[in-house]
This record gives sequence, C-alpha cells and structure tokens, in this order.
Amino acid sequence: MIAALHQAAARHGMAVPLIVGAVLLVLWPTAFSTAYDLRVFTLAGIYALLVIGYQFVFGHAGALALTQGAFFGLGAYVTGILGARYGQGFVVTFPLSIVVPILLAAVVASPVLRLDTHYFALATLGVAQVLLLVALLAEPLTGGANGIPGVPGVELLGTPVPRGLPLAGFVWAWVILGALVARQLLRGLYGTAFHVMRDNPMLAACLGLDTGRLRLAAFLLSAAYAGAAGSLFVHTIRVVSPEALEFHVMVAVLAMAVVGGRTRIAGAILGAFLLVHLPEWFRVFEKSYLIAYGAILLAMIVFAPDGLIGRLERWFPPAPAPLPEPEPLPKRHPIQGEGPLLALQGVVKSFGGVRAVAGVSLVVRRHEILGLIGPNGSGKTTLINLITGLVRVDSGTIRFVGTPINGLRPDAIARRGLARSFQAATLVEGLTALDNVAVARATAEGVGMRRALRASWSDPSLARARRHAMTLLNALGAGDAASCEAGTLPHGVRRRVEIARALALQPALLLLDEPAAGLSETEQADLADRLAAVREAGTTLIVVEHNMPFLARLADRLVCLNEGKVIASGRPEDVRADPKVIEAYLGRAGVSS
Amino acid sequence: MLQVIVNGVALGAAYALLALGFVLILNATGAVNFAQGDLVMAGGLLVVAASMVWPVPAIVLLPLVLGLMALLGLALSLLAYFPLKSQPPVAVFISTIAVGIMLQNTANALFGAEPRAGPPLLTAGLVELGPVTVSRQALAIIAVAALLIVVQHVLFRHTRLGRVLRATAQDREMAEALGIRVNTVIAGTFAFAAAYAGAAGLLLSNTFFVTPSDGSNYILKAYIAVVIGGWGSVVGALCGAMVIALFEVVFPSLPLVLPGLASLPGASWLFSQTMATILLYVVLLAVLVVRPQGLFGETVQRRA
Repeated sequence: MIAALHQAAARHGMAVPLIVGAVLLVLWPTAFSTAYDLRVFTLAGIYALLVIGYQFVFGHAGALALTQGAFFGLGAYVTGILGARYGQGFVVTFPLSIVVPILLAAVVASPVLRLDTHYFALATLGVAQVLLLVALLAEPLTGGANGIPGVPGVELLGTPVPRGLPLAGFVWAWVILGALVARQLLRGLYGTAFHVMRDNPMLAACLGLDTGRLRLAAFLLSAAYAGAAGSLFVHTIRVVSPEALEFHVMVAVLAMAVVGGRTRIAGAILGAFLLVHLPEWFRVFEKSYLIAYGAILLAMIVFAPDGLIGRLERWFPPAPAPLPEPEPLPKRHPIQGEGPLLALQGVVKSFGGVRAVAGVSLVVRRHEILGLIGPNGSGKTTLINLITGLVRVDSGTIRFVGTPINGLRPDAIARRGLARSFQAATLVEGLTALDNVAVARATAEGVGMRRALRASWSDPSLARARRHAMTLLNALGAGDAASCEAGTLPHGVRRRVEIARALALQPALLLLDEPAAGLSETEQADLADRLAAVREAGTTLIVVEHNMPFLARLADRLVCLNEGKVIASGRPEDVRADPKVIEAYLGRAGVSS
Repeated sequence: MLQVIVNGVALGAAYALLALGFVLILNATGAVNFAQGDLVMAGGLLVVAASMVWPVPAIVLLPLVLGLMALLGLALSLLAYFPLKSQPPVAVFISTIAVGIMLQNTANALFGAEPRAGPPLLTAGLVELGPVTVSRQALAIIAVAALLIVVQHVLFRHTRLGRVLRATAQDREMAEALGIRVNTVIAGTFAFAAAYAGAAGLLLSNTFFVTPSDGSNYILKAYIAVVIGGWGSVVGALCGAMVIALFEVVFPSLPLVLPGLASLPGASWLFSQTMATILLYVVLLAVLVVRPQGLFGETVQRRA
C-alpha cells in the first residue's frame, strides 16, 4: 500500500496531494455544514481569491506591496455604496468593484512602482492608510466609522443566492475561476519571465524584458482580484465598514501568502483556508485563542519558510519532464541601418571622483571578433555596462548601426540586438538550464498577458522556446545539462548556458565579459571553437578577456584599455607587442627587463 | 504655542526611542522587526501593572521595565529571528508579526481592551518657565528620553561593545570572520531595542494611555521615521521621529495658535488628528516621489 503510494507520488509529483486536497476542500463544507461553519468557509474563499491576487505582485513580481488590503477595502466600499445607497445589484457592483481598484492602482503605480523594496512597501502602506482615513472622514458617502449597513445579498438573474451552501458555492466558484485565470497567465513563458525578474531584475532587462511593464501588470492584476474579493465580502456580510480597510486585513493576506506559498495557487488557497479557520478551531482556548493563532503562525513560518506547498513539493518532487526535440531558430531579420555596427565617440563615465571610462572612442565592424583587454580596473566591464545600458554615460555617444542608443533602457537596447554575458555567470538558480535559455525567447515569442490567456492547455510559446533553447544548448555542448537546475551546474557548464541564453536573443552583437574565466584549458579551446562558429553564423562579438592565449586565437582585433582610455588597438600580435600595453600590464619594470 | 511644541517634542522623544530600536535591529540583521510597536505597548502595560503593586512614580520603575523588556527582547530574538536567520528578510517580517499578535492578545487577555493610564514620571502638574507653563510630565519625558539616547550614543561610540555592534551592522560575515560572536551581538541588539521600546511605552503611558491594540499604530510611526530619516541611519531615525511627532501635535492645534484659522469653514474637520495623519502620509509619499532614497540618503549598503 505504502509502496504503491510512493510509486504514485514519484510518477505524478504534486498531483496526488493536490487531488487529495481538492477532495477534502469539497467534503469540508458538505460534511460540517452548520450555518456558522459555512459562513467561515465562505470567508475563507474570499480570502483565497484575495491571496491569489496578492501572489501576482508579492510572489511573482517579488514586490512587498502593502496595498492589497486597501484594494480589497476599496472594492468593498464600491459595492457597499452602490448596493446600499443606490440599490444596485451584483451585476453592477461586482464589475465596478474590480474596475475602481484597478484605476487607483494605475494612478499610484507611476510614482510608487519605481521605488525599491522597503520604500515601495512603505509607500504602498501610505496609500492604504490614506484610503482608510478618507473612509473615516468622508462620512456622508462612507458612513464614517460606522460604515454602511443594509447591503443587499447576491442576486443573479432576478434570483437571490441564499446564504449557506449556495452562497459558499458561489464564492468558491469565483475562487476556482480566479485560480484558473492565474494559472493560465503564469504557467507559460510569461510566468517564467516573472521568475527571472523577481530573481534578478537587471538580468531580466538584459534579456529584453520590460520589467516596469511586468511589475505594472502584476500590480493591476492584484488590484483586480482584491476588488473582486472585496465585493464578494460585502455581499456576504451585508455591511461595509472601515474594518475592511484596516491594516490587519493586509497582515492576514501577507501571512496567508507566506504560510501557503508565495507563488503557488494551491498555497494561496491552503493559506487562506488554514488562517481563516485556525482562530475558529482555537476557540476551545477561549480568551487566549488569538495567542494560539499567533503561535501557530510563528511555528508555520519557522518550520516551512517556503510555505506549506513548498514543503509538500519537496516531499513530492515532480517527475522530470522529457527533454524537447531541438528545433532550429527562425531566421532573424537582418539589422537595418547604415554605418559600423557599433561606434563609440568620446564616451565618459565617472563614479564619484573616479573616471572609470575617460573618453573612449572605438568602432566595431560587422562580423568581427573584437577582443577588449586591459588590466584590472581599466574600465572594460564598465564599458560593456555602458553599451548595454546598465550604466548611463556622462558624455559621449554610443551608436548602433548609426542610431544613438545611449539613454535607452537596457531592455530596449537588448531588443535592438545587443546581448551580453556577465562576469559572474549569472543564471536563475531555481530554473532549469533549459528554461534559463528559453526565457530569452520571450521577446521573440511576443510574450504578454493577452497571449498567455489565449494559450490552450499548454503554452505553445513555452514549448517552442524550449525547443529553440535545446538547439542552442546542444550547439554549445551543454545539452546534457538541460534538465538540471541552474544552481547545481558546474562552473564551465554555467558559462555555456549563459552564452546559449545570450544567443537565444539572436543578437547582432554579442558582448561577453570574461567568458573563459575559471575554465580549464580544454574547456577554453572548446569554447573558442564554439565562439568562432557563432561568428561564422553571422554574429559580431566583443570579448572582454585577460586570457591572452585564448583571445589570440579568437580575436581579429584587440583593443587595450588602461585607466579608462584606449591605449592601443590593432592586430592581436601588434597590440600584444606594443610597449604601452606591456607597461600597462606589467608596470615599468616589465618593460626594462 | 511653546507648550504645544514642548508636548510635540515629548512625543517625538518617545517615538525616537521606538525608532532607535527599530533601526538598530534593522542594521544588525537586515530585517524589519514588526513587533517593535507591540513592545512599546508591552512596556506601557508593564508599568501599569507594576504601579498597581508599588504605587510609585514611573521613573522609579524605569530600571525594572528596562530589565524585563530586555528579557522579552531576548525571547523575541530566539523565537522569531534565529530560527529564520538564513531566510529572506520577509520571513522575519512575518515571524515578528506573529509574535506581535501573541503579545497583543496576551495583553488583551490579561488587562482587557480598555485603555489604561500609567503613573506619571515624577508627579503630575505644571511648571512655570518664565511666561509659559508647560506640563511637568512632558519635560520629564524629554529629559529621560534624552538621557537614554545619550547613553545609547556613548555605548555605541565609545565602548568595545559599540564597535562590535557597528562592525556587525556593517558586514556580518566579515565580523564573524574576525571572531566576533555575531549571534550574541544580535541577541543583545534585540534586548536593547526591546528595552528602549519598553521605555517609550513607559513614557507614553501616562499621557496617551495604553491599549493592547496600540502596536500597529506605533510600528507605522517607526517605519515612517526610519524611511524619512534614511533607511539605516540612526540620526535620521531620531530626526524622523521628531518630525512626525511635531507634525502630529502641532497641526491639530494650529487653530488655537492662529485664531483666524478656527473661523474657517470646516476647521474642526480640517484640523483634526485624522487629517494630520492623512497629511503625514501624503507628505511621506511626496518625499518618496521626490527623493526615493529618503531625506538623509541611505546608509546601509544593500547586499546584492
């Protein structure tokens, strides 16, 4: 029996516990259906919807927004005011309760979304507090501290939905719908894009992903779900009061998301179900039941910091998916424009008092491999960061096929056809090597909310992106590692996966920051051959490297930087023999000896 | 007017103790202690309880409150921080919320939900300072808080303990490599922060009463103070606390000072405590829009 269970678990991963959970969730209200229990169960559904929405911004976008309670309260007030004061029914209150929070979210998004971490948290908290105080002050509209009683119940097609099991079923139907929409949005390439963004926003931008837009989408989706939950809440309890806007709603939502799991829909439902019911179960402790609630919350976060679903996933690991068949990438459009591929003119960048790049001018021709050398601190990496837009130039221009690109955001530059690797091979640890590469196809696949919603049972963009990624991994000799999590890969393989990911953007210009660092000599030789093949296929390369033998066999031209200036450029053998270059690397003693 | 300002400074002094503890824990651990507000409440109720047994001025009870609150801070670190120290900071955020819920409801079970007043620091009454009279309590609050802040400053700037604490705040791993017992330091920081929060509770308990649900209000104030002052800056947090308190106290009393304002239509609505809080948040949002790194800039380096 146990062996059979083990086998089933190994084959189906989380399917077994999820099905068991769903069955229990259906049995729960039918088995213990006192009127009060059903009310609590309905409330759990409302919170589940609220938490599923919160996962967009908190889980997937990785931003600690403290507005979810406020959007919930706003939705509640819209329903309360329309229902009790203007006699509107569910068909009017519900959509408007979704629209109004979305509008508020859109208004506050532009100043608030660009803030970082705790500033973002506090700004969103500020918005929430202002809303609460306005509800208290605007008494003629909101009823002040007493709120508005007498909100009608849900009525559909002229028939009221009675309290008890029908209302619980109605609310949970919305939970199921919300869960399906969330799943549809996030299981494909769009969800993977979110994963990369929350793990490393800078990396996401370099892959051409518009992180501002992703964050905005998540924020608006959260507001929409919160508004829906707020409307259902008021139609259930039939009164709206400032309590719906108070901070403890937000705290409860946050706790549910953390306890259940930040990015798993099942986690939202489990967290909401548990935390709504726990105080009820602890009523046996009478006066101290909320103390026990706090203690259990503490215990859960201590013992399952990744959430209960995360804990379950470790017990029921998913069966490894079969690797996709490689499929060649579609032909990319030739780069339009006149002039050299890349031209830098008098580029300057200072950090504080240090001029890291002090007036660099250079030209990169099409289909060449340009080696960029120079001692540590000579400005090589800064130059790459300037070209790819991670750092803004102080003065000077950078032109890509004749058009200035300095001043553009990194994601816009990446979409124009510049891809890069990082000095410290930067992968998203929690994704497989395959998905690390596949996500770079997001722009080419036109990833977005609408496309995600239109996809059928499995996302064809993700499947195609994975097939393309497989081709690239094979081309770089990392195909065997495709299904491994990136965090487990050895250094040499990480480098290849990173380069495969950059190639997935089908760049016209590929900038590699010390690709050979930490590789053995055999690995270096192998990498040099593969990079030569990349150039043969029509990509131009800039390779930053210390390793002269590696560059000498690869580069057509070398440019040597020292103290932020170009001190030599030309054929590799000439640059290597240049006394200024030798001096820069070895100091004066090196020249005289 | 002067009286109003003295009251504002007194409130600010108490907020400063609260914000100080918040920022010390933040610097030592990188995590937000969300129970800090509930610790203020706990300190307040502790002094209420103690004064029922020994009816003496609160100043006499201060050492007792500091000591007991330090123990509570140790317990907090053991329960909510150490089990999660390798987790992302948001885990500690939640775990301290959980401890806060426990504190609040323990207080509720023991004392009930009604507000309670603590004993005055020395004696109640007014002091004449030249032409104006100010409350003795407000002056005493300022004096005690100033003393505690000076003690903190001396302790941190001029002792080995302080250097160890600052080293830990700057770079925990390096401090550990240098043989500093980082865990002891962090536990000590929690004890210190809790003691100061408790002192704030003691100082506020007479004028503002203590209610078990006070915590969330206080933590929001501390959070704002620390953001206004620059995340991680001790001096900034103290200034931020003062700004908030002055605003809260001075704004609603503007019509008293400038009688012309009182005759404006809707003055009682406009110059209310609620409106003051709304404006406080609006100003805060404006500060964040204009200067996303806080008024005084950011002092802790964020780890990549």
